[in-house]
Amino acid sequence: MIDVQLMGLLNATLQAATLLFIAALGELITEKSGILNLGVEGMISVGAVSGFITAINTESLFLAVIVGVLSASAFSSIHAFVTVVLKQDQTVSGLILTILGLSLSSLIGKPYVGKKLEVKLTSLIDIAEPSNIFQVLLNQNLIFYIAILLMIFTAYILKKTMFGRRIEAIGEDLKSADSMGLKIAKTQFIATCVGGAFAGLSGVYLTLSYVPYWTDGMTSGRGWIALALVIFGGWKPYRTAFGALLFGFLEALGPRLQTYGFEMSPYIVKITPYIITILVLVFLTIIKNGNTGAPKNIGIPFFRENR
Amino acid sequence: MSSPILEVKSVSKSFGNIKALDNVDFYLQKGVVHGLLGENGAGKSSLMNVLSGIYLPESGTIKIKNQNIHKMNPDIASSFGVGMVHQEFRLIESFTIKDNLTLSKANIFTDNFEEAYEKYSEIFTLNSSYLTPINELSVGEKQKVEIMKLIFKNSEIMLLDEPTAVLTPQETLQLKESLDQLSQEDDKTIVLITHKLKEIKDFTERIFVMKNGKMVAKNLETEKVTDQELIELMMGEVKTSNFKKDNKKGDVKLEVKDISLTNSEQFKSLDDISFTIQSGEILGVAGVSGNGQVELANVICGIEKEFQGRVLINSQDVSKKGVKSRKKLSLSYIPENRLGVGLAPGVSVLDNSAIKEYFKASYGPHLSKGKMLGYLNDLIKQFAIKAPDVKAEISTLSGGNMQKLLMGRELISNPEVIVAAQPTRGLDVSAVEAIHKLIINQRDKGSAVLLISEDLDELFKLSDRIIVLYEGRVVKEVGIDSATIETIGYAMAGIDE
Amino acid sequence: MNKYILSKKLYRNELATFYSFLIGFLIALAVGSLILFIQEKNPFDVFSLMLKLSIGSVNSLSNSLNKAIPLILAGLGISIINSVKLWNIGAEGQIFMGAIALNFVYINTSINNSQIYILLLLVSGFLGGAFCILFPAITKVLFGVNEIITTLLTNYIVFGLTIYLINGAWKDPASLNFPAAAYVNESVYLPTVLGKLSSGFLICILFTLIAYYIKDKSVFGYEMRIAGGSELTAIYAGISAKQKAFFAMLIGGGFAGLAGAIELLSQTHRVSTGISQGFGYTAIIVAAITGMRPIGIFLVGCLFGALTIGGSVIQTIGVSSYIAEIIQATTLFGALIAQFFFSYEILKKDEND
Repeated sequence: MIDVQLMGLLNATLQAATLLFIAALGELITEKSGILNLGVEGMISVGAVSGFITAINTESLFLAVIVGVLSASAFSSIHAFVTVVLKQDQTVSGLILTILGLSLSSLIGKPYVGKKLEVKLTSLIDIAEPSNIFQVLLNQNLIFYIAILLMIFTAYILKKTMFGRRIEAIGEDLKSADSMGLKIAKTQFIATCVGGAFAGLSGVYLTLSYVPYWTDGMTSGRGWIALALVIFGGWKPYRTAFGALLFGFLEALGPRLQTYGFEMSPYIVKITPYIITILVLVFLTIIKNGNTGAPKNIGIPFFRENR
Repeated sequence: MSSPILEVKSVSKSFGNIKALDNVDFYLQKGVVHGLLGENGAGKSSLMNVLSGIYLPESGTIKIKNQNIHKMNPDIASSFGVGMVHQEFRLIESFTIKDNLTLSKANIFTDNFEEAYEKYSEIFTLNSSYLTPINELSVGEKQKVEIMKLIFKNSEIMLLDEPTAVLTPQETLQLKESLDQLSQEDDKTIVLITHKLKEIKDFTERIFVMKNGKMVAKNLETEKVTDQELIELMMGEVKTSNFKKDNKKGDVKLEVKDISLTNSEQFKSLDDISFTIQSGEILGVAGVSGNGQVELANVICGIEKEFQGRVLINSQDVSKKGVKSRKKLSLSYIPENRLGVGLAPGVSVLDNSAIKEYFKASYGPHLSKGKMLGYLNDLIKQFAIKAPDVKAEISTLSGGNMQKLLMGRELISNPEVIVAAQPTRGLDVSAVEAIHKLIINQRDKGSAVLLISEDLDELFKLSDRIIVLYEGRVVKEVGIDSATIETIGYAMAGIDE
Repeated sequence: MNKYILSKKLYRNELATFYSFLIGFLIALAVGSLILFIQEKNPFDVFSLMLKLSIGSVNSLSNSLNKAIPLILAGLGISIINSVKLWNIGAEGQIFMGAIALNFVYINTSINNSQIYILLLLVSGFLGGAFCILFPAITKVLFGVNEIITTLLTNYIVFGLTIYLINGAWKDPASLNFPAAAYVNESVYLPTVLGKLSSGFLICILFTLIAYYIKDKSVFGYEMRIAGGSELTAIYAGISAKQKAFFAMLIGGGFAGLAGAIELLSQTHRVSTGISQGFGYTAIIVAAITGMRPIGIFLVGCLFGALTIGGSVIQTIGVSSYIAEIIQATTLFGALIAQFFFSYEILKKDEND
């Protein structure tokens, strides 16, 4: 019985972590190119609602995932346009992207509130009560595996390929990258849209699998936790994944605490991940003496003729 | 003579109301080392930035290898074989040497990198593994990597912006040898930008001279031109005054006793420094930048607090006192970093003008704009500052006017002790002249001046005594009468005679 | 050579921010119209109805201005914090914390003079908001922890705390379906001054002037500007940049906390999840769109208050209230686009080569 409980916890951890991780990984790519996008929450929301609506109307999960990913990516291009092409403040633009994304998805999602999804992303092999780790892993759906592939793929690209090194070069030092002939605007624009696409995938995971319905504000700050995860992971994919597992675990643990005999208000349990995120962030900043590993030129608009 | 490998015709470029390049013509011969001479702010760097595709000119044409260039950016420039070493290096500090050499799209040694690295690191005597991150290299080594970057990009036309500014005399000699080798053996076309006459004579075969954004002399043969001619071309009509050194000295105003400063890595950036400056005296501090000058100024002015030793202003021990109380004891500090330390970027001219004495315009928590404006108007009049709009950001002023505002702000109250670090760096001749007069004027009013400068001419012109800083120590102290450029130069390089 | 050159303007038009706002607002109206058009509504009808129901009568106008109070106060707080170039994304949480602090003091004290009591409660709201940003402020100045993330995450913590309190210790047994704390006594309600307009609006005007004074006319504001321009310049000038940042954050948080207190005493009269409906986030738009100028924040705050009221009333004709939020966010995006043309110019080069 304990095993089943434990495996249930593990299962829930993996699901919560997947959701956070995909969005964080996308933001990591964007930030590596020197663009800070605080709009993750809004992009997840746009991806979630457009995926959900597509799934309800077409009953095609494949199409739903594609639409969710693409619409979030298109939505993030607003941020790319304003910050990369028009060189405006990245903090302001990103914040507004979140506000706009949340209200826009509320608007288009309104007729779908409370509707039940007939199709749902299913597990690879559906096991009602997994009793060992192997079964838990098999119990995940396709996006979980895609997330793992994306993690390996992103880590490899960033560290080992010319392409990835060039993205990182831009985020580190715009002027030097420019003198190397690298296409800064193009790279940043694409990296921002890729970040949006990842957030969109995270969004469809939310509405097509994690909680298969749509309601206002259902992203409930996960986009912001994803942003914190990038800092937590020191802009490294594997460490970000570890962070996602940790936070996923906390999210999964909350509602289960009482079954383990802890007397704790469920409302307080619900806010523990946020408290722990802050504490971890503070702890990390202190031990690293302020040098968190952030790309050095993040948030700086690039204008070649700036002196 | 064969047709030029690069030809620029009537190029102009403005920044706001400042004309950086005014109808400039320029051309280069293959395999020749050219010198581009001119004062700071003459437009040399702007011209090079146009050639390397960073600045787009408003008018003019560029022809490289007989092809008219219709569209320009750094990528296109390097595909035409133009490469530039900037004064501020374009190296990614956290990346390895290898990454910095190979990430460029134009890199030609994609398959045989190791072989090529071995060859060129030998030519440039760079003894570091290519996996070393840039931030572990010395300034001289970084510059070697920068020049290698051009070779890896297969640049045939190499533009070097003030490459010797950060080098010791020995490293400079080394640089000359490798440049000679590149031009003679590899047929590279090289442009060396400098404002130092001696270098241009040593390094180059042909000389171009710029002044106030204009090209005033083209393709002079180095061997046939005299120093006097070059000076006249470079400086134009402006007469530089020779200041008399018959100033009267009075009481000791500033005393620095046994100052040592150890940074977090247990490295001594200042090591047991002592000196005094009398009223009416200018003490010059020579040294290659990064040998403790900034730290010394910060200790004296109260910005750096964790030091050993004592600082006395007017015989009063201020070692434990903060910035504001030292200012009240009549200390002024003109920091090396004009915009960023002395002046706050993004803040208005008006606000910047009050940084030293804004508390004088305040009544309790209230700050009187009227008083601040009055004070600024005094500054503008007294120091002939051109500030079209005092509510606009400080960056709307030209470099010379920024420095005049900064100097004026620090000097208008007639301070007894002045610390001035690199007060004329990057200014044109007339602005330099104006600043020099301000300093001398202040000396004659009885101030004690600590003048930190890398420009030896400036130090010789203004100082009564010179000390040389090397690795945080005073390695030489001489009166101006017994000082020579040679002895100071050796001391700056840390060489005992 | 390249035909078009992008060049940075040395001087920006003094009214650039104002024009950008106008352009942004027009763009936003166009986008709003497009959305309405897709939803098969006549944009003109909808907008005129919004106008009528938000400023058409004394009652609707006072509703709009009441809505403006939290937007303006939180926006002012954000603008004070931005003087040192820091961001406060935590106004939403600070608003709630202001209300919680007020209720805490209310429960534990009793003062007969209602005017003094109201004053005490407003002060506790202010202190609550300041308390809410205390941790982000301390960690920012001592260790350099990113304040954007810490202030934002506090929103979720404070919201969680609110839900915890109104479902537990403070739960009003009389409120069955909707968890909320007990109502405060009518004697501490903020009186209305005109129609339904709360006297909180007068406090709001007062604090607009205070913020303007702090930012533009005081020594503290001057020191904040220098510290915000360059930390090194501040150190050079003997100004403690960290100290300025710390106090700017506390004051800014206090402004938002005061907004929560006023909202409780004039609108909800109790702690509930309805204390703020995203005011803290909309306030970011209000502050950013005005270039952080207090008077501008006051005016745009009033406009956005009216928009919010207009947005909520058009639900009666089947139009989503989110239109108002979308217009608000799009206004800022439009303004950012316009800003570009005030900061840069595109020069055309004579083609003679």
